[in-house]
Amino acid sequence: MSSATRLTAHILPFALALWPGLALAEPLKVQLNADIRSNQPGVNRDAGSDSVMMNVVEGLVTQGDGGRIVPALAESWTVSEDGTRYAFTLRDGVTFHNGEPLTADAVKWSLEKMLGDENFPCRNFFDGSRGAKITEIAAPDARTVTLTLETPNALLLPLMAQTQCGGMGIVAQASYNADGSWKSPIGTGPFAFGAWKRGESIQLIKYAGYVPHGDAPDGFGGRKEALVDEVNFLVVPDISTAIAGLESGALDILPYISPTEGAKLRDEKGLAITAEPHGGIVTMLFQTDDPLMSNLALRKAFVAALDMPGLVDAIMGGLTTPNNSLVASKSSYHGDVQKQGYSYDPAAVPALLAEAGYKGEKITILTNRRSAINFDTAMIAQAMLQAVGINAEIEVLDWATQLDRFNSGNYQVMAFNYSNRADPALAFQAVTGSKAENANAIWDNDEVTALVAQVTAEADPAKRQALFDTLHQRFLAELPLVMLTNSLDVSAARPGIEGYRTLQGIVRLWGVSRS
Amino acid sequence: MLRFALTRLLSTIPTLLLVSIAVFGLIRLIPGDPASLIMGDLADTAALEAARQAMGLDRPVPVQFLIWLGKALTGDLGNSIASNEPVLDLVLRRFATSAWMVLIAVAIATLIAVPLGMLAARRQNGALDLGIIAMSTLLVSIPTFWLGLMILLTFGLKLGWLPVIGYVAITSDTKAGLIYLIMPVLTLVLHEVGIIVRMARASTLDVLRLDYVTHARAKGLSEAAIMTKHVARNAFGPTWTLIGLILGNLLGGVAVVETVFTMPGLGRLIVDAIYARDYPVIQGCLLFVAVIYMVVNLIVDLLYPIFDPRVTAQ
Repeated sequence: MSSATRLTAHILPFALALWPGLALAEPLKVQLNADIRSNQPGVNRDAGSDSVMMNVVEGLVTQGDGGRIVPALAESWTVSEDGTRYAFTLRDGVTFHNGEPLTADAVKWSLEKMLGDENFPCRNFFDGSRGAKITEIAAPDARTVTLTLETPNALLLPLMAQTQCGGMGIVAQASYNADGSWKSPIGTGPFAFGAWKRGESIQLIKYAGYVPHGDAPDGFGGRKEALVDEVNFLVVPDISTAIAGLESGALDILPYISPTEGAKLRDEKGLAITAEPHGGIVTMLFQTDDPLMSNLALRKAFVAALDMPGLVDAIMGGLTTPNNSLVASKSSYHGDVQKQGYSYDPAAVPALLAEAGYKGEKITILTNRRSAINFDTAMIAQAMLQAVGINAEIEVLDWATQLDRFNSGNYQVMAFNYSNRADPALAFQAVTGSKAENANAIWDNDEVTALVAQVTAEADPAKRQALFDTLHQRFLAELPLVMLTNSLDVSAARPGIEGYRTLQGIVRLWGVSRS
Repeated sequence: MLRFALTRLLSTIPTLLLVSIAVFGLIRLIPGDPASLIMGDLADTAALEAARQAMGLDRPVPVQFLIWLGKALTGDLGNSIASNEPVLDLVLRRFATSAWMVLIAVAIATLIAVPLGMLAARRQNGALDLGIIAMSTLLVSIPTFWLGLMILLTFGLKLGWLPVIGYVAITSDTKAGLIYLIMPVLTLVLHEVGIIVRMARASTLDVLRLDYVTHARAKGLSEAAIMTKHVARNAFGPTWTLIGLILGNLLGGVAVVETVFTMPGLGRLIVDAIYARDYPVIQGCLLFVAVIYMVVNLIVDLLYPIFDPRVTAQ
C-alpha cells in the first residue's frame, strides 16, 4: 500500500465521521436475494416486494408492536354501534411524494382502485368471499373516510394492515397511467421510490416532506423518521457473495438469512445477528384425505415420534422455541391453553401404529430447497420417523411445483410455511375450510370452520380468547397438521448500523442510522 | 458467400419453429404455474382460476401457442408475467450484459490457450507439455461457482482490490464497467482456457504429423517458422470451430458466474424465469438463445475459409 493510499485510508473515516452530512449521504445498502416482482403494493408481490413497499406507502391503519392495530394515515377512527361503519379521521398535513396533499377523496379513489383490481390477491378479504364485505367507501368531508360493511367483521382492521396486502397502502392518482395501468408508486411513506434497475437494484430516497408523528417507532406505525438520505436494495442472489459483501462493506444489512446461517455467522464470524420472531407459521401439513394420513392414530404416531424441541432447535439454529399453536407466540391471545403442545413419546408409537393398522407403507414428505427451514424440517423429521419404524421418504421439489401440489392437495405430508397473519383468526382461516371447495384447505371440519367464522366476527377479546382456546384444544386432538413454531426473521448488519429491525418479515428502514 | 449465408439463415426457420414448440410444450408440462406463485398462500380455488383466466392460461395449449407465435412473428414476444416488461427489451438488455463478459473472456482465453496448446504440442511428452495438460485438466475440473467464489473472496474481500457486489454497464461508464467485469471474466477465462488448450494441442499434434511439416523441416526451416507459418493456420481450424461452440454456449447465459458476481445477465434471467414460471420470458429467452447459437455458428462457418482455404463457403 502506498503512503498516499495509507494516508487516505486513515484520514477518510475521520473525515466522514466529522462531516455528518457527508456520512448520511452514503446510501444504506440492503441485500435482496431476488428482485422485487413489482412496485405496486399488494399486487404481483412477494416478501421482498412487500419489504420495499412498506417503506414507501402507508395505509389508514397498520400493525404496531405485538400486532396491535395502530394509526397510520388515519390519526383515529370510530366504529358504529352495529359494527358495520368505520369512520377514519386523516392525519393533518400529510402529502404524497409528488407534493399533493392527502385528502379523503384521494384515499377513497386509491382504495376503490385497489379493491377493483382483479390482480389484487387480497381482494377476496374485502369482497365477502373470504372475510369482510365492504359495500361502500365514502369521503363525507376532506379529512374523513368511511367504510361500510355488509355485516360486522372484527378483522377488518387487521386485514387492512396485512403486509401481504401492501398494508392497503394509499397512493396518488399519478401512480397510474392515463389508461388506468400501473406506473410507479407515489405514496406517503418516509421514503419515496427512486430508480429501479431491474435485476440489479432499487433505490429509495428520503422524502423531505414527510412529517413524523409520535414519540417512537411502534411496529409499522409511530414515529417514522428517515435518518439516511438514500437506501439501495441490491439484488444479490447468492448468500456466500452477500456475506462477502457484508464483510467488505459493499452491503450494510442482510435482512433475510436462514436461522442456521445466522447462527453460523454469529459463531464463526462474530457478526451481530438479530432474530425477530414473527407470526409466520412453520408446519408439516397432513393430507387428511390421503388413505394413510386420514388415519388419526397414524397422525398421532407421527407426532409422537417428533422430538419437538430438538427439531425446532435444529431448524431454527437455536434461536427460538417450539409453538404448537396456530396462535402466534407473541400474540396477546397466546395464553396457558396455547402453551399446551405435542408430547414426544416414542414408546407410544408402536401401539399407535398397530392401532392404525400401519404395515410399513411409504409416507412421502414433500419439501423444497428454497426454504432452508422446510428442507431441514423434512430431513430431521424423516430421521426421527424412521427411528420409530415409520417408512418416511423425502421428495424435494422446486418451490413452484410444491406450491402447485399444495394448491391441488396432491401430497401426503408436506413441510410448508404460511406467511404471517395479522390476527390468529386469520391463521386458523388459512388452514380451515372445505377441501371440496378449496383443495388447499387442510382442516376440513364444519364445526371448526363455524368456530373460525365466529371468532372472525367477534370483537370482544374475552370471548375471542375462549374461542381460540377451544380451537387449540380441538387442533391438538384432531392433528390436521403439525404446527412446529413461528417464523423468525434473522438478519445481520455491519457494526455501526443502529436502529435496524425487521417486523413480520418486513425490513424497517426508518429510524436506521449509521454511526 | 451471400447465397450460402442466406440459405443457412433460411434453414434455421424450421429449427426455430421446433425449438418454440418444444419450449412452449415442455415448460407447461412442468407442474406449477405463474398464477399460483403470484397468489402464494393467499390463494383459494376461485381466485386461482380467475388469475389463470386473466393470464390466458385457461385456454388450450395449442391455442396459447398460436397466439404467441402470431405475435412473435411481428417481433412481439409478449410481456413478462413477473415484471410486466416487454420480453424483447428485457432479453436484449440482459444479453448485452452477458455478451460483454463472454466476448471479452473468450477473446482473452483464445489468446492465451492457442499459443499454450501449440507450445504443449511442440514439446509433446516433455515437462512443459505435462504441466500445461495438468493445468488445463485442473481448470476444466474446477466448478465455476467455486472458482468464482475463490476469486471473489481473494480479490474482493481479502485484498480489497475489486468491488464484491454490484454491476455497472460498460456502455454507461467504461472504466467502472471494466472494473466490475474483471472477476467474472477471469473466472470464465480460467475455465475456457482449460478447454481450448486441449483442442489447440490436439489439432497441432495432428498437423505436426503431416508430410508437409516433415518436408519443411527437411528444407531446413526453423521450428519457429514452421510453427508460425505452416502449422498455426492449419491447426487453428478445429479450435476455431470449438471456440464458436463455446461462444454460442456461453452467450446463452452463464447463470452461475452471473449469480456469484451479481451480474444481471441472460443466464440469471432464464433461471429466475423458470423458477417464477414466467412463461413469456422463458420462451423469449430460449428462442433468442437458439437464434444466437445459430448466428454464431454461421459466422464461424463463414470465417472458416480464412484459416483453411481448402474449405469454402460453397
